[in-house]
Amino acid sequence: MLSVENLRKEYKNIVAVDNISFKVEEGRIFGILGPNGAGKTTTLRTVLNIIKPTSGTITFNNQPITNEFLNTIGYLPEERGLYKRSKVIDVILYFAGLKKMLRNSALSEAKSWLKKLGIEQYTNNRIEELSKGNQQKVQFIISVIHNPRLLILDEPFTGFDPINQTLIKETVLSFVTDGKIIILSTHQMETAEKLCSDILLINKGVELYQGSLTKLKTSFGTNTVKIEFDGDAEFLNTLTEVKNMDRYSNFVEVQLKDNIDPSEFLRMIVDKINIKSFSVLEPTLNKIFIDVIEQSHTKQV
Amino acid sequence: MKKIFEIAKWEFIEKVKTKTFIISLILTPAVLILFSLAPTLLTEQEVSQTKVIGVVDTSGLYAKDLREELNKYKLDNIQLCYLLINLTTKNTPLDQLKKNADKDVLDEKVEGYLLIQNGGTDSVTIDYRNKSSGNLKDLKRFEIAFNDTRIKLKLNQEKVDPELLSFISKSAEVNPIKIEQSGKESKSNFLITFFSSFIFIMLLMMMILYTGGMLIRSLVEEKSNRLIEIIISSCTSNELLTGKILGLSALGLTQIIIWFLIGISLVSSTIVPIEIFAHIPVILIYFILGFIFYTSMFVGIGSIVTSEQEAQQITTYLSFLLILPIIFVLPALENPHAGYIKILSYIPLTLPSFMMLRLNISPVPISEIFITIIIMLLSIYVVIIFSAKIFRIGILSYGKRPSLKELIQWIKEK
Repeated sequence: MLSVENLRKEYKNIVAVDNISFKVEEGRIFGILGPNGAGKTTTLRTVLNIIKPTSGTITFNNQPITNEFLNTIGYLPEERGLYKRSKVIDVILYFAGLKKMLRNSALSEAKSWLKKLGIEQYTNNRIEELSKGNQQKVQFIISVIHNPRLLILDEPFTGFDPINQTLIKETVLSFVTDGKIIILSTHQMETAEKLCSDILLINKGVELYQGSLTKLKTSFGTNTVKIEFDGDAEFLNTLTEVKNMDRYSNFVEVQLKDNIDPSEFLRMIVDKINIKSFSVLEPTLNKIFIDVIEQSHTKQV
Repeated sequence: MKKIFEIAKWEFIEKVKTKTFIISLILTPAVLILFSLAPTLLTEQEVSQTKVIGVVDTSGLYAKDLREELNKYKLDNIQLCYLLINLTTKNTPLDQLKKNADKDVLDEKVEGYLLIQNGGTDSVTIDYRNKSSGNLKDLKRFEIAFNDTRIKLKLNQEKVDPELLSFISKSAEVNPIKIEQSGKESKSNFLITFFSSFIFIMLLMMMILYTGGMLIRSLVEEKSNRLIEIIISSCTSNELLTGKILGLSALGLTQIIIWFLIGISLVSSTIVPIEIFAHIPVILIYFILGFIFYTSMFVGIGSIVTSEQEAQQITTYLSFLLILPIIFVLPALENPHAGYIKILSYIPLTLPSFMMLRLNISPVPISEIFITIIIMLLSIYVVIIFSAKIFRIGILSYGKRPSLKELIQWIKEK
């Protein structure tokens, strides 16, 4: 279990991360979400021992992080890039060597990964001869070749086409069954929704929410229904049960008052309008993200 | 240790394969050969054409004998070096003669002409008037020929025995011999001293420029594509720094060894005079120390540089410091014990190249060699410590280049 407690990182006049704590268990994918400059990367860097926190502790199975432990971490940074002039296999072997992998096992692992991701034909090509997506695959291999116990992925899916996104997603999910600890930092709410069991939402270095996604969704549920219809829906606006309504060409999104049950509301309107479909809307993580961050901004004002 | 080795190996192998390295490996010895051959070629090359030289001598005493004297100098094919023609015409005033002769020179009828004035008196003067400032070798020959002519003329007038005459005209030359500390002596030759100092200083500079440039470029690349983060999450910054310095030193050593072999083969084939390599063991020590010193400094500097252009600027400025001694070669030859040369050979930045220069010019006491090597070792140690501190923070700061104040803060930080 990775445990981060009361993490704080100050730069000259800025507090980049302020009192962040979280725990990640084996076989879980933990998502760190937040807008640009929220402190995601700083948090990841302290876990990676790249920078030292001003205060706070980071432990792995109750042990402080040592240089030896670094050999069991895999890291995929947000900005991609490799030694362009070097051969794919050489670059992979270099980084595997830096994780203290033996050359023979590194070589066989590298080959099996290149095959798994469908780029084994480029083994002896220079990095610069590969497409951007394939370069990213090489970088992904570098982060996982040494079978890390802790895998930190910063925006792992950007730049991949849908087919490769699925390939990488499946690979990441297979690590869950392996019992790896995975930390995922992303702006892509959709990805986080699909992969992460727990999330940490931060902005300006401060925690806004932490917990399971389902809980977050319930607490941010806005009691909204979507109705597709034929006819005039203008009367909906006059109903006392309706708090707010957004009209689109052939459907409306209606936010009900908190004490109104959606099925009751359906009964009320079913005779007055020709309904084609009726659904209760779950707030998307995207919407929650924007809402929470806006809230935190207004609070500060 | 394994990680340091991995990094050193990577830096070495990946850079040995680059075009820049291979080019520098070949280009630099080419330059070396060019400069080594230059003095030999320049001194031995003779003009293959006879030069037409005029004489204006109103006294009419010298022209004939002067021609005989100058006829001694022959080209390879028994052709005369100089063809003397008399431009003096009777009853023409000197001013007019000068004007006419000058015109001949400008019209390229003659290469130049000798103007003898006040012939027959004690205050005789001779000018060589030509379009350029004059070939040193020609001037020297004219001088000898004229003086011989004059002495012969005078002695003939006094009816002196011709044998005495030939004795007098054979003057002895002073040969400069440099006394080495070990008691061995060597013929000191200005050109050889100049070029041997020049070659080693140039080699050091080029090597530092190439490898330093390569180092900074790779650091800028690693920083800009955040590879540095993957590396730093796998090893400590000190391991990375040590690995890089070791890898590059190995690279530099490879270069030196290859150049040295080329040098030896050139000496054995007597293309290059052995004198150039007279102080090679001590020079090599300064060479290697200088290289490590600058490489360590470049690692620190490279970590704060944000773009390739900036990197180029910095390497250029630093290499100026290294070629500084070349400017000082001439004054140093005249006065090897000048205070400023001594001072500059004690400042780490200029120490290696100035010591190479001094070693070539005059014997340097063992104590001084010892002290300067200690200074060099200590400054390498200090530079590595400072570089490591800057490196540690520098490689992870992106964007703006840090101010001097920030750098000092980084160094102070634990």
